[in-house]
Amino acid sequence: MGSTSRPSTAPKGRPNPRAEAKRAAERRQRIVMVAAGIGVLLIAIVIAVLSAGESGSALSTSDVARDVQVRGDALPVLEGDPAADPAVGDAAPVVRGEDFDGTPVEIGAPGRAQLVTFMASWCPACQQELPEVTAWIEDGRLPAEVDLIAVATSLDAGRPNWPPQDWFEEVGFPGPVLVDDTRSTVASTYGLPATPYWVAIDADGRIVARNAGMIPMAQLDALAQTLAAG
Amino acid sequence: MVAIVERLTGVLTLVALAVAVVGLVVLVRGRVPRWLSDVALPLATAIAVTATVGSLFMSEVAGYPPCELCWYQRIAMYPLVVVLGIAAWRRDPQVWRTAVPIAAIGTLFSAWHVAIERRPALGGMCDPAAPCSLRWVEEFGILTLPMMAGIGFLAIIVLSLVGRNTPAPTPDEDEMTDAADPLGSTRPE
Repeated sequence: MGSTSRPSTAPKGRPNPRAEAKRAAERRQRIVMVAAGIGVLLIAIVIAVLSAGESGSALSTSDVARDVQVRGDALPVLEGDPAADPAVGDAAPVVRGEDFDGTPVEIGAPGRAQLVTFMASWCPACQQELPEVTAWIEDGRLPAEVDLIAVATSLDAGRPNWPPQDWFEEVGFPGPVLVDDTRSTVASTYGLPATPYWVAIDADGRIVARNAGMIPMAQLDALAQTLAAG
Repeated sequence: MVAIVERLTGVLTLVALAVAVVGLVVLVRGRVPRWLSDVALPLATAIAVTATVGSLFMSEVAGYPPCELCWYQRIAMYPLVVVLGIAAWRRDPQVWRTAVPIAAIGTLFSAWHVAIERRPALGGMCDPAAPCSLRWVEEFGILTLPMMAGIGFLAIIVLSLVGRNTPAPTPDEDEMTDAADPLGSTRPE
């Protein structure tokens, strides 16, 4: 590494055969390097072109989305500690919409207590939680006095696990599913900050609790029992 | 088009992984061939350039919004294009002192990002706009974007260390460089 301090053997202005030969060798080496790089890139492109396949559903976001009607004031976005949620005790906005098959679905109306879960089919946390919730229901842990309704929201045909109806069907979710519109109106009306998102509504149509993110099934038990107790 | 580019990034990631493994074996054995040390820094630069162009393609052309952790990895990867590019041009064997810490920080963010992808419960929720847990790309059933970035960072670390043995420029090249360097700045040996 000490060669930089060594003086050049040839006087300035005259060609140095050794240096010229070295430069020529390095030029050859660079050409080989560049050629190898281009070769690897070309092979990679050929592999990519031959093996890549376009995938995806023919359904667009608007094909899946449904119109929704909202009555009442929107809730503030849930921020910070859910225990200090200012929306608790407020009247839940009443949202009327449809299931994937066109069956009318309503959330927030007084009459029966409701557990509402907002799920996005592309969201890995939702993908983990929906089967757990489905098993929870199938185990008979949902009290008879409480309805559990899912909202398929944040619809985006460009994201994985599309369309959402296939996902709900594969998981075997038994409850009704309210399908959000293309602007996620239901989610924004209920103050969704992230998915999965839970809203507990009592039989009087008042907000009991909201929670963003996955919740343990034991916590879901407690929430459901609170709603059932009125 | 997008599917082809995604597959191409997957294939190039496998190439980078192979290069990193070869480099690691050479480092462990303690004998770095001259040809390998010569190509190490240009290769590291090529990996940084590919990762940078790839990430810009994914966000600006494919339309995958970068999440918070993606940005931290970008912050680590993008400067490496310049740092390694200049070092490769000047054949600076000391660049590992700068490149390795930056790439190591990027590797940590990639590892955490991959963990959140694999275990959504770690993150617990999905931001509807730019969720870190969402796997926009998953080539060969395993290579997601943060995993590709992580392999890129690891390859850069290995190649920067292999490049420690890059021969310094010859005196004649020194003269040429000095002629174009009026400040006469010194080059590490």
